[in-house]
Amino acid sequence: MAGEWILDKNHLSYWLRQMRNEMELIAPLREREDIVFKSVEKIHEIVLDCPASIPSPKEFLTPQFEPMLKKTDKIIDLRDNSKRVVFGVRSCDISALRLLDRFYLNGFKDPYYEARRKNTLFISIVCNVPDNTCFCIGLGTGPFLKEGFDIQLYDLGDRYFVQCGSKEARKWCSRYSFLMRRPGKADFEDQYEVELSSQAMFRKRISLEYAQQMISEDKLSDGFWQGVTERCFECGGCVYVCPLCTCYTVFDRAYDNETERIRVWDTCFFKGFTRLAGNILPAEQRILRTKRWFYHKLLYYPETLGGFGCVGCGRCTITCPGRIDMATVVLKMKDEQK
Amino acid sequence: MQKVLTVCPYCGCGCGLYLHVENGRITGVSPSRSHPVNTGSLCVKGWNSYEFVQHPERLRYPMIREKGILRRATWQEALQKVAEGINRVKAAYGAHSIGVLSSAKCTNEENYLMMKFARGVIGTNNVDHCARLCHSSTVGGLARAFGSGAMTNSISEIKEARVLFVIGSNTMEQHPMIAMHMLDAVRKGTTLVVADPRQTQIARLAHLHLRHRCGTDVALLLGIMNVIVTEGLVDKEFVRRRTENFDAFESLLDKYPPSVAESITGVRAADIRKAARIYASEKRSMLFYSMGITQHITGTDNVRACADLVMLTGHIGLPMTGLNPLRGQNNVQGACDMGALPEFYSGYQPVKDPKARRKFQRAWRRKLPERPGLTLMEMMDGGVRAMYIMGENPAISDPDATHVRDALKKLDFLVVQDIFQTETTEYADVILPAASFAEKDGTFTNTERRVQLLRKAVDPPGEAKADWQIICELSELMGYPMHYRGSYEIMEEIALLTPSYGGILHHRLEEGFGIQWPCPNSNHPGTPYLHRKKFARGLGSFITVDYIPPAELPDEKYPFLLTTGRIYFHYHTGTMTRRTSVIEREEPLCFVEINREDAKRLGIRDSFPVRVKSRRGEIEVSARITDRVPEGTVFIPFHFREAVCNILTNPALDPIAKIPEFKVCAVALEAV
Repeated sequence: MAGEWILDKNHLSYWLRQMRNEMELIAPLREREDIVFKSVEKIHEIVLDCPASIPSPKEFLTPQFEPMLKKTDKIIDLRDNSKRVVFGVRSCDISALRLLDRFYLNGFKDPYYEARRKNTLFISIVCNVPDNTCFCIGLGTGPFLKEGFDIQLYDLGDRYFVQCGSKEARKWCSRYSFLMRRPGKADFEDQYEVELSSQAMFRKRISLEYAQQMISEDKLSDGFWQGVTERCFECGGCVYVCPLCTCYTVFDRAYDNETERIRVWDTCFFKGFTRLAGNILPAEQRILRTKRWFYHKLLYYPETLGGFGCVGCGRCTITCPGRIDMATVVLKMKDEQK
Repeated sequence: MQKVLTVCPYCGCGCGLYLHVENGRITGVSPSRSHPVNTGSLCVKGWNSYEFVQHPERLRYPMIREKGILRRATWQEALQKVAEGINRVKAAYGAHSIGVLSSAKCTNEENYLMMKFARGVIGTNNVDHCARLCHSSTVGGLARAFGSGAMTNSISEIKEARVLFVIGSNTMEQHPMIAMHMLDAVRKGTTLVVADPRQTQIARLAHLHLRHRCGTDVALLLGIMNVIVTEGLVDKEFVRRRTENFDAFESLLDKYPPSVAESITGVRAADIRKAARIYASEKRSMLFYSMGITQHITGTDNVRACADLVMLTGHIGLPMTGLNPLRGQNNVQGACDMGALPEFYSGYQPVKDPKARRKFQRAWRRKLPERPGLTLMEMMDGGVRAMYIMGENPAISDPDATHVRDALKKLDFLVVQDIFQTETTEYADVILPAASFAEKDGTFTNTERRVQLLRKAVDPPGEAKADWQIICELSELMGYPMHYRGSYEIMEEIALLTPSYGGILHHRLEEGFGIQWPCPNSNHPGTPYLHRKKFARGLGSFITVDYIPPAELPDEKYPFLLTTGRIYFHYHTGTMTRRTSVIEREEPLCFVEINREDAKRLGIRDSFPVRVKSRRGEIEVSARITDRVPEGTVFIPFHFREAVCNILTNPALDPIAKIPEFKVCAVALEAV
């Protein structure tokens, strides 16, 4: 592969600073005991051995609250064309982009997503501190990627092994090649070592194929889904944090002299999400909405977008107050035979 | 993109969340992963708590009503008019003819200043807030039994408890993050008992659901205590060492064997016995209650019965062992702590106590009134001629709303300070635009007594200002300058004058996730659970209570029992949630929950309009046919201005706490 480099760790902050001159730099920073992705002021404060961020980096491509256009005496497009580099994201989130791109850009193009996607550079890092909720390992969506990334970093101790996967990435490496050198044999050995050791750190394995089979062969009783539904808080958290959930709604806000059109995150767990005229609620029963989410992720996603609607990031496990997240429910299926 | 760690503005859970800010606009919310309450989760209101902040209908500048019409005014004009209005009424009728409503939505610092303003500047103890309508019975009931009226344990202890007894709390919908800890406990083998007339979601997940009739809580609890005594489950050692007045209390229990309790409550005697055995048999038992206990004419008695139960079994004073009132508003605990109450200064120091009064007089350099002031309901009952209302909407939230609106209409002068126009501002002479939770610094105290820092994420809209700044400016105009450079300076004064907040200062709250009071000094780490080794008042006091039926029960003319409350998607009078797109879409209409059998009998069809009448008025709502309510009982939420269920409710008051009986009144239904 073209574009493999070795970057001394001491040179990272210089490199990021150069990027920041042209783009907003967003990276994981410590806030009390949390780690959150936000604009970076002091590059040395970036924390890389961090747990999964909440929400996922989709917040930089489709923010929770996104003004679309404004109407005064004319219509003003509010599409966000600003440039961003998001540093320190995980492989699972990058692999989610492949399906998000298909959803938003194949056929009908979503111009808002397109603008942000085009202008955002992701620097991902091969995972060496998985949470105990993570299960990308069984899904081929992490802890490291063979393709689909912009820039992928391997932490080799005193240096990073840098892989470029896009044109923009190659530009940033070749322009600053004086900070880097080409990898040698020892570097490749160390890189492989990181791949092996990161795989060894995962404790959780979830088979989505098994879950898919249980559903498609109709092996799960309504009692099973009722049990799951009873524990649902209808918070929408699973959808909000998921790197692959795309539910949104659009509404208008009227000010004195202008009207703004805004889209916000929505969730298919709400009965009003599919409300029809005359207050007809196709999924009024909660059990239908629970099933819909799991069926969508496990059956319809593979059919329409060519992959599961889950990359094993484990965020729904962290955020679901009812503990009916993807991993827990799939594990529960094992106890269930119709 | 910036992310500002702050506290959710909705319920008393006090979840930690980040507001995402881009170019001066809030673009999202995310939960804090390490916060001890929400640990990476939020409920639907939390996830959507940002949207109302930058709503176009926010109040952006002060307004004055002239000849019945509101017009824009400058701050100077508006504050001048407020000062004149208050001074005029004070000169004509005395300071006690003025009432002040503080707000459980505002910060501790603002509540403290508001009560200082009422007492020190206006010169009246007529200061109260909506805690009167939710937990005044807790404050009074537990103060006498234990010496302190707050949740005894911490939320993070819940998942280690062995028994959870929840009475009169729809926890999964109203305190979702507390319910999360409860369900986690249940998954680990904890037994959950729920007592609720409605089959709420948490009741469906309980091992035992006691479905008692509305308003029979005292009988249910006495029945349970009778079993505990007769079956020898009393913790005699605890009763002897830590409590008093047990003998008088015990003799009353003979009146309530399970068979009698069954006939009053409708709960099978066998279930009462079962509940008693479950609750008494594990030391790590936590009792939770909320509005189902407090909002009755017997609210104080209900609370005392709960206190008696925990003392009888010795289930208090340890981690995972205690009595836990769940507070409904983000800062209702703080507003009470700050003394926005007619009978207390901050830290529940009685205004009647000359020593306390002297202390505040000296600090404030003002002569302070001695007589305790009027409660919220008494103010609405013609007790005052002018009112200053901050962040409350009594025209919807108070019982017998028609009467409340008449009272507001009759006032000589009304100033309302809020973030939106509300049904209450319709009667205001002056409206002052305030900053929302996202636009100011300060502290909120959650239901587990955790004082947390609220941080400014964006600027207030237009000319709106933080409530504490408005109070300061008004105070200066009225001849009493308050020199605070920031809310942290107000906190310093609070710490100085309030023993339980003695060590709580802003700079200490910047690390970790807040401090739980009591925290007497700046080295003290805070107190996760109360009444360790001894009760706050010394010995816990058993208080004899007897069952009294609700003030208004169904009869021939009004054959249904109406109980009211909140629903998951909305919050109180809807000022904020009804301006939030997704959650307003989920529940845009007011409804009445009717049991399937009742609906069949009356020919009422699902989602069709129904007229609900009580002795005080009538409203029209859409029918929701369900098994959640038992036959003969209906439920209506109070969020909707289009159908104000408080037009129906009974303003009958608990004689001690003066809390109205929101949970029981008699109504008639008819299909429209």
